[in-house]
Amino acid sequence: MLPETTSQPRLAAGCRWAEAIGAERMLLFPEGAIRLQGTGREILERCDGVRTVQQIVEELQTLYSAGDPAQIQAEVVGFLEKLQQKRIVDF
Amino acid sequence: MLPGPLALIAELTHRCPLHCVYCSNPLEMQKAAAELSTQDWARVFQEAGKLGALHAHFTGGEPLARADLTELVAGARGAGLYINLITSGLGLSEKRLAALVEAGLEHIQLSFQGSREELADEIAGTKSHAYKLQLAAMIRRFKLAFTVNMVVHRQNLDDLEEIIAMVERLAPDRLEIANVQYYGWALQNREALLPTREQLERSQATVSAAEKRLSGRMRIDYVAPDYYARYPKACMGGWGRRLMLIDPAGQVLPCHAAGVIPGMTFDNVREQSLEWIWRESAAFQKFRGEDWMPEPCRSCDRRGEDFGGCRCQALLLTGDAAATDPVCSLAPRHDLVEQIVARVNSSEAVPLIPAAASGWIYRPNPR
Repeated sequence: MLPETTSQPRLAAGCRWAEAIGAERMLLFPEGAIRLQGTGREILERCDGVRTVQQIVEELQTLYSAGDPAQIQAEVVGFLEKLQQKRIVDF
Repeated sequence: MLPGPLALIAELTHRCPLHCVYCSNPLEMQKAAAELSTQDWARVFQEAGKLGALHAHFTGGEPLARADLTELVAGARGAGLYINLITSGLGLSEKRLAALVEAGLEHIQLSFQGSREELADEIAGTKSHAYKLQLAAMIRRFKLAFTVNMVVHRQNLDDLEEIIAMVERLAPDRLEIANVQYYGWALQNREALLPTREQLERSQATVSAAEKRLSGRMRIDYVAPDYYARYPKACMGGWGRRLMLIDPAGQVLPCHAAGVIPGMTFDNVREQSLEWIWRESAAFQKFRGEDWMPEPCRSCDRRGEDFGGCRCQALLLTGDAAATDPVCSLAPRHDLVEQIVARVNSSEAVPLIPAAASGWIYRPNPR
């Protein structure tokens, strides 16, 4: 399921952040954990249930202003879709 | 330096209101009087957190049989661990779950024995199915991840479509469908539990179709039985590589079944630190790495993926814990598994529904 531009992604129940170590931060969820840095961390830290997908895309486009905006949009949407299938993100 | 364990499996008690015919607990269970105290566990969780463990999986027996479960959850969460409760649900009330969530419980895995009440209760040896169904709706009212664990075998594998439809109505985040593996009590009941090849192939098609249909709503994980695999599983992610299991009396094991291996001794958290046990103890070093491996494992390209398979399965089937796991098609004693599989797929196999529990060997409670 693709997120709508107006949906407000949040971490799914049972998923939480561990303390950050430098650029890296660990996301804990049932049966696993992922180390995140860079874009992945920037996207997921904005999944607060308040920001919309459109806002997250715009913030990432500002943060990575040297990148191609269309590509950044596709990356954010694709990443959220993948994490929703893994039941890490809800929207 | 050797990395620390990723997770701790806390087998809090061997007491359980269920008597499942495939229980993975050892045949020799720990008595209630030998169980670790609340303070012992709290110290162990602190040590595990410092060693770098991320998750604590609370299991048993039935963890809810520990009256201090809420304190144990709080202790582990305080040590920074992610808390998962693996339960039959018997002993869980709304009030108790509220306290557990408040204390830091994050994920609950509720086990089911099938979709037909009569068969499910027969497998569990306890009337429990109807209560579990009620619990699922209650669990969904709390903010925590919810998994349904469905154990499948010869007797219920043909119900899989109905089982998935039942679980869909319970609306968990995830459904884990795990075929029985043959250790402990399951090995005692293997003839009536091992599915046929035809059942297994049908079940795989059913799961694939359900995964597509439910994508984004409910994740499905399917675990096939080792006996039908071409290569062995990376048991416990490799011996002494990822996991530590602490039994109710404080013995630390590299896996659930390691107690069956003759000559093994296990250190106890009452006497040694978790770090020493992980790094130095004989039990954890026994099959760590590749030095113990026989051929064909030693020169096999897959040795870094499956670590030679399961040591306990090797022992139980060949009598030698250091043999290649016989479920591997390359194992010198693969014929042992082939014989068992051939028997189950022959016309002499036991009938699909055993006559009213007469043949089952039930797991008792520790005395």
